[in-house]
Amino acid sequence: MTRLILRRLMTAIPTLLAIIMLSFILMRIAPGGPFDGERPLAPETRAALESAYGLDKSLPEQLLQYLANILTGDFGPSLVYRDFTVTELVAQSLPISLLLGGLALVLATLIGISAGLFAAWRAGKWQDEAIMLGATILTALPTFVTGPLLALIFGLWFGWLPVSGQGEGLRWLILPVVALSLPIAGAIAKLARAGLAGQLGLDHIRAARGRGIAPLTILRRHALRPALIPVASYLGPAAAGLLTGAVVIETVFGLPGLGRYFVQGALNRDYPLVLAVVTLYASLIILFNLFADLIYGWLDPRMRGEQ
Amino acid sequence: MTIFSLSDFGVHIGARQLVSGVSLEIEAGEIVALAGASGSGKSLTAMTAFGLSAGAGKGSARLDGEELIGLPETALARLRAQHVGFVFQQPLTALTPHRSVAQHLGEAAAQAGGKRPGHSAMIAMLEQVGLADPQSKLKQFPHRLSGGERQRVLIACAIAHAPRLLIADEPTSALDASLRREIIDLLTGICREKQMAMLLVSHDLASIERDADRLLLLKDGEVAEKGKAAKIASQPTSKYGKALMAATPRLTEKLTPLPVPTDRLLEIRDLSVRFRKPGWRSGYIDAVKNASLDLARGETLAVVGGSGSGKSTLGRAVAGLGPVTSGEISWQDERLPSRGKRSRKHRQLMQPVFQDPVASLNPRWSVTDIILEPAQILASPDAPPGQRKSLVTELLREVDLPPEFASRRAAQLSGGQAQRVAIARALSCQPEMLLLDEATSALDPLVADGVSKLFRKLQEERGLALLFITHDLALARRCAHRIAVMEAGEIVECATREKLFGSPSSDAAKRLIAASG
Repeated sequence: MTRLILRRLMTAIPTLLAIIMLSFILMRIAPGGPFDGERPLAPETRAALESAYGLDKSLPEQLLQYLANILTGDFGPSLVYRDFTVTELVAQSLPISLLLGGLALVLATLIGISAGLFAAWRAGKWQDEAIMLGATILTALPTFVTGPLLALIFGLWFGWLPVSGQGEGLRWLILPVVALSLPIAGAIAKLARAGLAGQLGLDHIRAARGRGIAPLTILRRHALRPALIPVASYLGPAAAGLLTGAVVIETVFGLPGLGRYFVQGALNRDYPLVLAVVTLYASLIILFNLFADLIYGWLDPRMRGEQ
Repeated sequence: MTIFSLSDFGVHIGARQLVSGVSLEIEAGEIVALAGASGSGKSLTAMTAFGLSAGAGKGSARLDGEELIGLPETALARLRAQHVGFVFQQPLTALTPHRSVAQHLGEAAAQAGGKRPGHSAMIAMLEQVGLADPQSKLKQFPHRLSGGERQRVLIACAIAHAPRLLIADEPTSALDASLRREIIDLLTGICREKQMAMLLVSHDLASIERDADRLLLLKDGEVAEKGKAAKIASQPTSKYGKALMAATPRLTEKLTPLPVPTDRLLEIRDLSVRFRKPGWRSGYIDAVKNASLDLARGETLAVVGGSGSGKSTLGRAVAGLGPVTSGEISWQDERLPSRGKRSRKHRQLMQPVFQDPVASLNPRWSVTDIILEPAQILASPDAPPGQRKSLVTELLREVDLPPEFASRRAAQLSGGQAQRVAIARALSCQPEMLLLDEATSALDPLVADGVSKLFRKLQEERGLALLFITHDLALARRCAHRIAVMEAGEIVECATREKLFGSPSSDAAKRLIAASG
């Protein structure tokens, strides 16, 4: 296992490097620049700004400089929020996104797997069909519909929960976390249910039935772990997406998370900001795919490979 | 006393009646076997009464006097947990992949309501089924065990709660020939010693008299013959029983003459195949080591051995389907190049027929397209359509299929029909040699016998050389001129059938013969 982790981390370095270089080049190819405001800048001002940020050098030079800076942990200044470095911006907003995304991930996994398990236990009965219908609806509904809807019902009509911003305690987290987790929970429920259905025809389930084990125990003990492999594959990228900010939910609930920097940075051509967020996102994807691989080994020991 | 009985028992799935009128009784310590072709309903008969098949039972099925038909699933589950043990056909898949041997044993021993056994009790359970090094096996996951070890663990699980009745559904058919004897002896021994009743679903007609006390032959869901196993095996009275027993090759049967071989076609000298070990491990696996063989026109050479002995790798190397590391393969004294460099002319010389006929035909293709593909590529690319059509009809006739099969799809064929189409495909480019890789192993006894008779006929008519890879010694003895015995990649003995079975010289051959008897 240690070997797998080391191997993955080794291959992560060139992957990250390639992603950073590609994003760097793509950002620069995109038309427009960080200093294109509504009012055109005087040519001297623009030239001064560009030389201050090193944008007047050749592209390869800039790229090398950027890579060298990253190695020392310096992601550069934001070109738009000029009083802040990119590291400061990310450090401010990342905790909120991590909290929001992490909780949503846990909630979605719990709801999704329990619902999938219950549906498989009640296979073919109305509970099964109701859960699967619900899961389809949840997966299909975009968060910009469920978010405001939840805010309307629980925030405005019932007045139980705050609808915007960060208040006292943790009550402000409930609505955004639920809204964020619902589509993921729906997808996990469907994957878990399908995975379990695929297991049920197998010999080892029949062997367990031969031992007279109760149906729910069979599902839990003999079928669930291998059935969750597709869920693990789905969760890797989904987790990275959740943790680096859910733009829509952050906007709907007025939370200062990472997501909006991603969008605004891209729109403003804030090169360092976008690159930093992309690097973070890519690292998380790589990390979570590694987690997913480790989880595969736990779910099905046959996938642990030769030791 | 009677442990388990069926009387006028039937099984239906939906409106289809699949089994009817089966009656049997099993006493404590007695073994009753169900045998018959696949689709004859033998597994359904064994499993349905306990709620472990897709079918529904009718008539009467009694366990210790208690009627099973009509019991709700919870009550059936309780009965299974307390009184019945099951051994399934596929040891590979009947163990849950993420649960260790100890977890399986613990669950099985506690299924009747008892306590989970301790460490030493589990080791004793594994020793009882003859598993070597039980201490370290307890922690293992099933995929780390060999097929034979897994089946031993399954048997240990099946008897862990001291059941009254053991249901064994073809417990050895997925195992290596040399292991079958050991495993079936283990099962029957346990059954006698512990006075359990056993219902054995068996495909192994050649040794059934040794395994079972009484035998029921099923045909299309009905009992064709029943009685003492030894009597049915030696003197069957029903037409079906006679046909089945005649179709089953035995080591004791009289040898029938074979066509006379002529000039030498194929010669293999010092052929070796080695593979890199999988994954990140360093080193090599010597799948075939310095194999030398030759084969004449009109001759059948059988290559026998356990699984993993390298017989299929050897066959694939010869036919240019697999890699060759070193050594020479020559055809009529002309050296054949490696697989990537073989010309169409070389490929046309020998054609393969594989074990699983259904998997080796593209299900969406028509029989005509399947049969013509090699002919068009290798033999006669420019033949006019009319000539092609007559070629298909002619080949179908040769493999004893009616001409209207030409328009069928592969998916519509039964196993035996599919294998005949695969043979017609192999013949369509007019080869001089066929590579038969377990070509009859996946087929029922009667169908397999038909197919091996077909090979004999084709050999007589066309003077084909046959390289026949098989694990079935009795079949090799019945149809091959000479037999090469492989073990761990080496040909340890190659002799005429008379010599090999009369006075085998290698230990491997002696072991295989003993295991097949």
